[in-house]
Amino acid sequence: MVTLQLVGSLRKELADSLSTCRVLVVGAGGIGCELLKNVVLTGFKNIEVIDLDIIDVSNLNRQFLFQKKHVGKSKAQVAKETVLQFCPTANITAYHDSIMNPDYNVEFFRNFMLVMNALDNRVARNHVNRMCLAADIPLIESGTAGYLGQVTVIKKGLTECYECQPKPTQKTFPGCTIRNTPSEPIHCIVWAKYLFNQLFGEEDADQEVSPDTADPELSWNPADTEARATASDQDGDIKRVSTKDWARSTGYDPVKLFNKLFKDDIQYLLTMDKLWKKRKAPLPLDWLEHQKLTCPQGVTGTGLKDQQVLGVAGYCQLFSRSVETLHFMLVDKGDGAEELIWMGNCDDPPAMDFVTAAANLRMYIFSMNMKSRFDIKSMAGNIIPAIATTNAVIAGLIVLEALKILSGDVKQCRTGKFDSRNGELFSKLM
Amino acid sequence: MIEKEDSIISEEEAAQYDRQIRLWGLDAQKRLRGSRVLLVGLRGLGAEVAKNLILAGVKGLTMLDHELVTEESSRAQFLIPVNNQGQNRAQASLERAQYLNPMVEVKADTDRVETKPDEFFLQFEAVCLTGCSRDLMVRVDQLCFEHNIKVFCGDVFGYHGYMFSDLGQEHNYVEEKPKVVKPKTEESNDGPEAKKTKIDSNETTMIKKTACFCSLKLALEVDWTNEKAKSSLKHTPHFSTTQSIVFSPFVPLFFPTVLLKFRTDKGRDPHPESFEADAMLLRQIRDDVLEAMGLSSDLLPHDFVSYCFSEMAPVCAVVGGVLGQEVVKALSQRDAPHKNFFFFDGMKGSGVVDYFGPK
Repeated sequence: MVTLQLVGSLRKELADSLSTCRVLVVGAGGIGCELLKNVVLTGFKNIEVIDLDIIDVSNLNRQFLFQKKHVGKSKAQVAKETVLQFCPTANITAYHDSIMNPDYNVEFFRNFMLVMNALDNRVARNHVNRMCLAADIPLIESGTAGYLGQVTVIKKGLTECYECQPKPTQKTFPGCTIRNTPSEPIHCIVWAKYLFNQLFGEEDADQEVSPDTADPELSWNPADTEARATASDQDGDIKRVSTKDWARSTGYDPVKLFNKLFKDDIQYLLTMDKLWKKRKAPLPLDWLEHQKLTCPQGVTGTGLKDQQVLGVAGYCQLFSRSVETLHFMLVDKGDGAEELIWMGNCDDPPAMDFVTAAANLRMYIFSMNMKSRFDIKSMAGNIIPAIATTNAVIAGLIVLEALKILSGDVKQCRTGKFDSRNGELFSKLM
Repeated sequence: MIEKEDSIISEEEAAQYDRQIRLWGLDAQKRLRGSRVLLVGLRGLGAEVAKNLILAGVKGLTMLDHELVTEESSRAQFLIPVNNQGQNRAQASLERAQYLNPMVEVKADTDRVETKPDEFFLQFEAVCLTGCSRDLMVRVDQLCFEHNIKVFCGDVFGYHGYMFSDLGQEHNYVEEKPKVVKPKTEESNDGPEAKKTKIDSNETTMIKKTACFCSLKLALEVDWTNEKAKSSLKHTPHFSTTQSIVFSPFVPLFFPTVLLKFRTDKGRDPHPESFEADAMLLRQIRDDVLEAMGLSSDLLPHDFVSYCFSEMAPVCAVVGGVLGQEVVKALSQRDAPHKNFFFFDGMKGSGVVDYFGPK
């Protein structure tokens, strides 16, 4: 009788093929850290990992290969170093780079027995999908958000690929909603982000913040709307001065900026009375009037400081302070460097302060309940809540699929879906 | 009782826990921060649970294990650095466990869990038992049940794993549901329809609920021989695929039953080095267990033995992730807990939550 030889939990043949093959892990973040740990403990010996990102303090609640002292360093590099501490015999190559760099061509991908994605964006996923199809290498795709996670195997000729199913597109809002008639906090937040770019960042013609005279609602006659649009293009100089140039001409005076954005422009909107027939009209703010009100001092209650909603007077102050700080930063950059860059989910206090203040002032003007910095950061920064356990489970499932592929059991591969709240782990055969 | 002394979250905690506070809320984070947990057993599954709880931000985690590091165990677990052979497993895991989150008080205890007096367990809000004998689990669970301490048990045997929860007679928690809001409708019969002001779609409401659990003793004492149990064997779970094997939901329970019996008989788990002898014993136990239940031994096929040796790292990750999240839910009193078992089959890649115990 042939004795079954086990190496740990695995049959010897499988254990042997693990130790000789090469695998690529794309991403060393939430899923990536868990995945690298699993891959190494399961017995893979030749691993390459790539990630363009550096470590941030908000990663530390789940990207367990990193510590506070590593903040600012390369994720791929630190992940490799930490893994080597518990498995020094693993042969790991780390790349602090983007997988979309042309150096990682089809030949590069062909070196691997399989590729495992641990990405957080669609562009990179599409790219890796195509490379793996071109190289004809199996790809294990995965994703997590909050309590939910998913794992899928993609193999040319056997399964559908990542791009086979249409994915929902990012939501965008019509210009007139942002510029004239916001009805939800997100409209005000988008407006505030546009404003940031217009004043301090890269100006974009699609990110106008001033009242839109070509709003289709202003007339029912399409010809009329077109006439207005042409008129505003051909109009006199004043309307064509860019927001940034205008701001510069005032020396980025916070009071002048405030009065233009939250008083004059709003008064202009009020003249477009057709817009306000069925809607509550906006209320212009006056800087001097709000100076008279006191704003809340310090932090009250047991919530996070960021979860406080400051009130109009508070946001007036915040607006003023953040404009000054951002102007200072812009000037500090010197000649030629004309732009600050919006980094939504990094800890960039002045930019986030600015967006929080501007968005809230606009919400107030349009009679919406104001939001805390904490909530605005979620929406402005496209922050996805994340925990360690969902990533741990998904990364476990990824390796189990990898083992099936290596055993030649591709037909047994499954799409796994996991909901951490109820522990339901669905898996469907491919 | 969860300590409520310190209800302010520091800047450091807010920054580090940001992404999870955005998911389960500040109240939940504070409760976690007031909880002390005991974790018994630092093999593969234990290390995963330790990591998950330390990252979640509990007040303290005591890691208890009397075993020494062997060559095999240093391969199986990511907290023990290499070259720590001969050291105590909990002790060897301590440094790297603490590095995961300096804000948690992590301790190592090298005693045998069997020798701990009752009072020892009472200092914790939750107790997690891995690698323990069935008798010990039943004893500790009974004690904790009487003192309103949450109990969790779990093990990984090769490709298979399970976890069990006992949150006491009455576990109170909240569930967050979106607020149902009717949009304002206005007649608009002249000109383009004006955009309607929507009420904030992010508003939610907290609903209070209660769940009741039974002890491990009662959960394992299901009388399979009676007709009612037998008839429910025909019920197949909804989670299987079109190609699934027609196993009943009770099959997952047989795995831990058989493996726990092995553990009691041999004082250890099946070891690859004694594969032949252990495999034979496993099959024997399977036959005995199933016969005592009046069931066919076909329910656990012949080759089941080759999939239950050692601890598979990815299976530890899955079971450890589920177990970790159950502990978090229980301590934070948020979201519905599993009642009362979770079984994972790493071969199939499927997980099932099921209830065993008195109705």
